[in-house]
Amino acid sequence: MSDETAICSICRQPLGDDGRCQHCDEDAHVWTIGDWRPLLTLALVIVLGFSFTRLVVSNFNTKQAALASEYLAAGNRAMDSHDFARAVEAFESALIYSHNNFQYRLKLTDALVASGATSEAFAQLQDFREQRPEDAQVNLKLARLEAHRQHVDEALHYYRNAIDGVWPERSDPEPLKNDVRLEAAEYLIGLGRNDEAEGVLQAVAAVLPAASAEQGKLAGLFIRNGDAERALDIYQEQLSLNKNDRAAVMGAARASFSAGNYAMARRYLEEMKPKTAEAEALLVELERMEALDPFAKSATGRVRTERTMTAYRIAMERLAGCGVPFGQRMTGAGKATAPKDEAQWSGLEKWAEQLSPLMSEQKLRGRDEVIESAMRFAFQAETATQKGCELPATLNDEALLLLARERLGASQ
Amino acid sequence: MKPKTERSRELLLKLMATPVRRKYFETLRRMLGPTGVISIREEQFFLVLAIAIGLLAGFCVVLFRVAIATVRLWLLGSSMHPGWPRVVLVPAVTGLVIAVVAVRYFPRVRGSGVNQTKGALYIYDGYIGSGTVVGKFVLSALAIGSGQSLGPEDPALQIGAGLASAVGRWLKLSKERLRLMAPVGAAAGMAAAFNAPITAVLFVIEEVIGRWSAGILGAVVLSAISSVVVERWFLGDEPLFRVPLYRLNHAGELLAYAVLGVVGGTASVVFVKIIKNLRPWLRRQPQWSQYLQPGVAGLLIGIIAIWHPQVMGAGYEWMDLAMHNRFPWELLGILAGLKLLSTVFSFATGTPGGLFAPVLFMGAMLGGLVATVEQQMFPAIAVPVGAYALVGMGALFAGILRAPMTSVFMILEVSGNYSIILPVMICNSLSYLISRGFQEVPLYDLLSRQDGLDLPSLEEDRELAILRVEDAMRPTMGRALLGDEAIGSARGIAAGTQETNFLVSLGEGRWSVLSREALLDEANGEAEPVRSLVRARVPRLYQDQSLEVALRFMKERPMLPVVHRGNLDLLMGVVSVEDILRAYRRAGLAEPETAEVS
Repeated sequence: MSDETAICSICRQPLGDDGRCQHCDEDAHVWTIGDWRPLLTLALVIVLGFSFTRLVVSNFNTKQAALASEYLAAGNRAMDSHDFARAVEAFESALIYSHNNFQYRLKLTDALVASGATSEAFAQLQDFREQRPEDAQVNLKLARLEAHRQHVDEALHYYRNAIDGVWPERSDPEPLKNDVRLEAAEYLIGLGRNDEAEGVLQAVAAVLPAASAEQGKLAGLFIRNGDAERALDIYQEQLSLNKNDRAAVMGAARASFSAGNYAMARRYLEEMKPKTAEAEALLVELERMEALDPFAKSATGRVRTERTMTAYRIAMERLAGCGVPFGQRMTGAGKATAPKDEAQWSGLEKWAEQLSPLMSEQKLRGRDEVIESAMRFAFQAETATQKGCELPATLNDEALLLLARERLGASQ
Repeated sequence: MKPKTERSRELLLKLMATPVRRKYFETLRRMLGPTGVISIREEQFFLVLAIAIGLLAGFCVVLFRVAIATVRLWLLGSSMHPGWPRVVLVPAVTGLVIAVVAVRYFPRVRGSGVNQTKGALYIYDGYIGSGTVVGKFVLSALAIGSGQSLGPEDPALQIGAGLASAVGRWLKLSKERLRLMAPVGAAAGMAAAFNAPITAVLFVIEEVIGRWSAGILGAVVLSAISSVVVERWFLGDEPLFRVPLYRLNHAGELLAYAVLGVVGGTASVVFVKIIKNLRPWLRRQPQWSQYLQPGVAGLLIGIIAIWHPQVMGAGYEWMDLAMHNRFPWELLGILAGLKLLSTVFSFATGTPGGLFAPVLFMGAMLGGLVATVEQQMFPAIAVPVGAYALVGMGALFAGILRAPMTSVFMILEVSGNYSIILPVMICNSLSYLISRGFQEVPLYDLLSRQDGLDLPSLEEDRELAILRVEDAMRPTMGRALLGDEAIGSARGIAAGTQETNFLVSLGEGRWSVLSREALLDEANGEAEPVRSLVRARVPRLYQDQSLEVALRFMKERPMLPVVHRGNLDLLMGVVSVEDILRAYRRAGLAEPETAEVS
């Protein structure tokens, strides 16, 4: 608008022809600070207001923090006593008094998962992740939750994120990262993804200090993944640091046992004095397996053929005991009538027919490929009947199954 | 050695050597005046005062929030799920106490406080009694802390306005400024209570001031910001609820949000209709029942809270849980319904406390409900419950409080996520339109009318037909006279028309009016320029200006020129008082001063 139509900046009325406001007395709107007392008083009121508010809020915050801690402790107690619903309630109450406490929120998600409210926990964790995509703790919890929900790819994705993620300040991330690697490897072994698990375990082995308490766990996972030799190396290294490390002795025995080196396993077990129940049990297993394993390093050619024929016989007896007379398919106790089982029995039948004429000491002698095939047949027969057959397995069947597990690895 | 005065003079000259420094010194000299006393214009002082009001209101609201939390701890305990005897007895007994104190000592603190603040602005020249501030603080803290289904935002708004009014009176501000103190304080109170300055500023403009006014905007913004700074200083910058991140994956999702808009609009109509009928009915009951009503409301809420304690208080912690998918759809629906009932009980009985938080609560629950139902019906569509809960808040806010601008910006400010704007706008618009379609008068206007007040409303302003200069102006008969042309020539033009007044163009956009008598006066020589007859200039108008503006400039002038904005010497027409009144009569409106009376 032009100067003619300008309005008074004080009373918003149009200015007069002379450019001055006719509606208000401009001088009346000039604030003359001749008397400073009102302004000083106002400033004083602000200072007093600030001080008083600070005092009140400080007391209030102290009380809030105390309440938050109280509920956190109650939640932890409820978690320990497996009262998960109460734990959820306690953590939620703690969060009222410490609204954005991230650690409290993580505790709440743990409680939610434990109480079965996985979708709620998942939503919370997803929310955290959107806010802190790099947070290792959040990714680890998401990985566990996805593993629990059997979402394999997502679980592995979050495990990787957790390993590469940012861990809380004032904590050494390397041991925490190794823990996650071991957890991820264990998950992979459970899935039967042994090659990937091996890669992860090797990565941990490369960075884990020799004196770390996690070495035993690492070696154990190597055994479970079918790499008993590597596990044995680790245990032996542990023993070189401390020859009285009973856990390492036991581990070395188990690794030797898994590697088929029964003599070495026996030596480690006999070294251990006094023997633990675990060692005793392993010794019994060892003896039974030694009697059946044609691949044992100490076995001579004759012993190998005898053990192969025994294993074949045990497997055939097991099949017959479970109601799998070849030619009639499995009926009765076996109840394995699914089409894939039909195909499996048919395959075993053909395999047995091929092996049957070769099961004599003469025909097996020096023929490692036939011994290998016969043992694989025995392992497969035992494994197949383990799930479908209601007839209890004999000690020999169990020994064969153990052998199968040792020889064929976790994929069985 | 030079004398001391000469050295000072040299120093002063040196300091003033640059133009920038000279400007500062000039400003300082003007402020100090001839007597050396600081004198600043009231409008400048008003801005400084707005910051002080913001700080004081911030302290008050921080203490108010602490008071609510402390009362809750004392009366209901620290657990999220208090025991049933407390849940039933505390709101009922506290309600009785509140009713006695409110009816006897603080009758003006009943209700939300928004209308009282608006009343102070438009009726009581900015006056809000200090007792009202104290009463509102204490009784609202008691009501909300004891579990009445009300929120702290509206009371905080009134507390801020009352505080500003008290300071303004104490400083003996002019009546115009004192009247504006209430919204300045209101914005500060609201901003600190909701931890959202933009929302507070818009809400005060939409609901308290009721019209867009550039004159007060600066002060309102300053006070809101300073109060939020105080609030965050003391209570941290944590939001009232954690907002999940949101992204729109597919445009088809907007249809799903439209459903929420329809549900929100319908719920808004139901809520407002119940308040509309229940509040006057309760007020018609005998006087003694006024002492019981908040207590009875508290008892009913307590009974509901035995099974659903979520309905008690403002409920921000529960909104947070709803936003994070913590409730099944059945519970979300139940909570939305029960909160509606509880809020109606508390509010209609005159218990001091606000509607802001309960409205958001209902919106969050309805949003969550619609999301979970849609999740089950259309599993292929990504339906983030948190985003729905958030958008639902805006939908109910737009539908119930009918502040559409605030409702949109509130969600943007709370979420800090611009990508949610499309769902919010769709949802809020639908909810607002449905609410307007079935409930003509907005809630706060309805409440003030029930209280016997008729206050201006931005929504009514928007509806008002605006008449412009182009609706009244008429073309000139012939051309305007030119300032430089000879009087004789001008007399020739005048002889050809019956006009009694002539516009004179003086060049460079300046205009004047000359009467026929003055032009034809024989005392003036024919060769003299017309300019010599001109006594005063007149304002010019543009076609797009409102007739109200034209009337303001008309005064005793017989006519005013209407010119082209691109060429100020190009005359488009003229307008007189008669033309303006004719235009109003043609439009079927009365005089403009009464146009806002519905």
